[in-house]
Amino acid sequence: MAEQPWTERFRPRTLSEVVGNEEAKGRLLEWLKSWEEGIPKKRAALLYGPPGVGKTSLVVAAANDLGYDLLEVNASDYRTARRLKEILGRASTQQVTVTGRRRLILIDELEGLSGREDRGGVEAILELIRETRAPIVLVSTVYTALREAWEKKLRELTRLSLPIELKPIPVVEVVERLREIASRVGVEVKEEALEELAIRSEGDLRTAINDLEAVARGRKHITLQDLETLGLRDRQLYAEEALRRLFTAKTLQEARGIISSTQLNYDELIEWIYENLPYILDDPRELLEALDALARADIHRARAERFQAYRLLKYMFDELAGGIALSMERSQGLLRIVKRHLKAMGVPLSLFNLEERPEGVSIAPVKYLGGETWRKVHIAVRALGGSWDREGRRWIVGYLRPPRIALRYWWSRERRRILRSISSKAAVKMHLSTSRAIRDVIPILKVIFQSDAEMAKGIAEWMELDSDEIKWLSKG
Amino acid sequence: MWTEKYRPKSLDEMINQEEIVTRLKRFVQEKNLPHLLFVGPAGVGKTTAILALAHDLYGPEYRNYIMELNASDERGINVIREKVKFFARTAPIGDVPFKILIMDEADSLTADAQHALRRTMERYTKTCRFCLIGNYSERIIEPIQSRCSIFRFSPLSEEDVKRCLRMIAEKENVEVSPEGYDAIYEESRGDLRKAINLLQAAAAAAGRKVDAEVVYAVLGRVSPGRVREMIQLSLKGEFIEAREVLRSLLIDEGMAAEDILRMIYSEVMRLDIPERLKVRLSDAIGEVDYRLTQGSRPEIQLSALLAKLVLVGEEMRSGGAALD
Repeated sequence: MAEQPWTERFRPRTLSEVVGNEEAKGRLLEWLKSWEEGIPKKRAALLYGPPGVGKTSLVVAAANDLGYDLLEVNASDYRTARRLKEILGRASTQQVTVTGRRRLILIDELEGLSGREDRGGVEAILELIRETRAPIVLVSTVYTALREAWEKKLRELTRLSLPIELKPIPVVEVVERLREIASRVGVEVKEEALEELAIRSEGDLRTAINDLEAVARGRKHITLQDLETLGLRDRQLYAEEALRRLFTAKTLQEARGIISSTQLNYDELIEWIYENLPYILDDPRELLEALDALARADIHRARAERFQAYRLLKYMFDELAGGIALSMERSQGLLRIVKRHLKAMGVPLSLFNLEERPEGVSIAPVKYLGGETWRKVHIAVRALGGSWDREGRRWIVGYLRPPRIALRYWWSRERRRILRSISSKAAVKMHLSTSRAIRDVIPILKVIFQSDAEMAKGIAEWMELDSDEIKWLSKG
Repeated sequence: MWTEKYRPKSLDEMINQEEIVTRLKRFVQEKNLPHLLFVGPAGVGKTTAILALAHDLYGPEYRNYIMELNASDERGINVIREKVKFFARTAPIGDVPFKILIMDEADSLTADAQHALRRTMERYTKTCRFCLIGNYSERIIEPIQSRCSIFRFSPLSEEDVKRCLRMIAEKENVEVSPEGYDAIYEESRGDLRKAINLLQAAAAAAGRKVDAEVVYAVLGRVSPGRVREMIQLSLKGEFIEAREVLRSLLIDEGMAAEDILRMIYSEVMRLDIPERLKVRLSDAIGEVDYRLTQGSRPEIQLSALLAKLVLVGEEMRSGGAALD
């Protein structure tokens, strides 16, 4: 038997297996249950969200759990009103199937209908919704950047149905799901590799699972390096391309074009730019100008998301495009930054052959450095995110580094859990708020626990700290 | 912790705020109490005073008669109201007919929440007195202020702080040089809690022999010290390194962006730069402070501020007019 792809093989069968989007899950369930008391006001639900977050899976799992008979069609396959009615018309007039099971209609890939040519299709769906006696779930993929246009196109549909939004799956949950799948298929995947897969997927679980399957082909152990060989460096390439073009753009219009044509979504774009700006702009005034623009861009983003006023995103794009692209005039980029760091470590530049190569700035020693100097250079290079290339006998500092924020939060989650627990104990004992305990007491405790065992022991008993908490304070 | 070990148990033990203590003692004698509002900076004895008052009023079992809430830790006014209801539904046994509810950081409540709190205060006045504690009386709504006796706590004098530190050092067998005391006072000013904490950390770090150097070494390891390091790195033009410190504060130390910003603010005010520049920076910090409430990424906003400091450092070195 041919093997199913993993995305099918591990598709959730029940709601409890569906990863993330608890709120959407609850709303869909509530709406479906309301059908038990007669036909509700909204006869259709519209599930929308970015690709790969489990929209269809959610409907399938809900139908399974609640014992519905699912009738599934693809909106773009039946582009004419007549065809749709043929397929769905009869089904929608009956609440139960011949075997007595209740019926649920799923119209998938709604985004495939184009406004103008498929007028008939949209009309037919509208009509179906108005008359149906069985619940209809519409599913549509929405790319955030195109959201405004999408909303305009489907205004009628969104008015008649209950909109339910699905969000990208948080990194942490993608990691968990991947780990589970890996263990079920008996592949050992290094933690960093799981995280990298999860981060690169941007909350698109399907992509993450597909990538994992691709890497796992013919392997029993997967490390971070294995990901690189598999053409998964797309994000990096997109980002490199976008940022390189952005910094050479001469006009606002040109920059805007670059921003809108990149494959990265805007959250990613902001994070890539943020991570890399200080490695590109060595002139402090230009760095400030660009970071200021980025900070303002992020404000526009926050407002757009907070008030669901996506038209505000265009101001974000302008800040990202113009503010950043046009900030670079005097800066000379990474090479100068590398030089400055080496100088700051007290290492003479004459010891090296420094040059810009396609993969990054290369620092090749021209003579034997000695352990001391080698280590100094190594520290400076590591601080810039570079590494020693053993074969080429030189250090390479790459031009771009992927955003690390999400990853660092993930790595430190256990630390932060313990921190919270210590600070709430401290808060009670010392009549403080927990945030003040974090700020004023924890650092003091750390100093004590790292230098005076006896004093620490007394405090640990008094505060009733457990062994993890004591270890946390003692290790720093 | 020494802050708790040496916290005065009774009003008689309080070394400062004489006027306030005298007034509070009168309430104890009369066994009656109005609602109280304690305002003043951190570490000057507000919480200590109300705990000591409760001790004197109810005796050693006073904990059965009080409840402490911290407004910034409670999830919303409704939770607070429920807790108050539960606490105040019964009158205490004994000759004092009311319990005391202590609400710390009451000034962090929104005006709406304070109005709700005021109604709760009124409803349970018979069985419960409220002691609200905060830094600023202006942040407490007028209707609450007018229902409370207001007590304004002032920062402790240098003499009081040092006297208290000396007493503790003696009991704990810690040797502290005069410069050591100076350094602790310089950092903590009139905040006694901070001063005692610092003394204890320094005593632990230096095998109980504390001088100025030890104090500074400890300071470098606590958060205000890391914030200072971050600012110095920025001023030196080391933006990338400064940003790493910022990340470690936000992520590893779990600090709130608002707290970091507050420390940046007080550090900037201490910098040796032209006053005119401080005002400009204050404006920039205020803008970031506002933006933090708007849901943007705190790290990006704070980084932009660090970049501003990089420029200030650069201009200071070249003698130019920064940020013009």
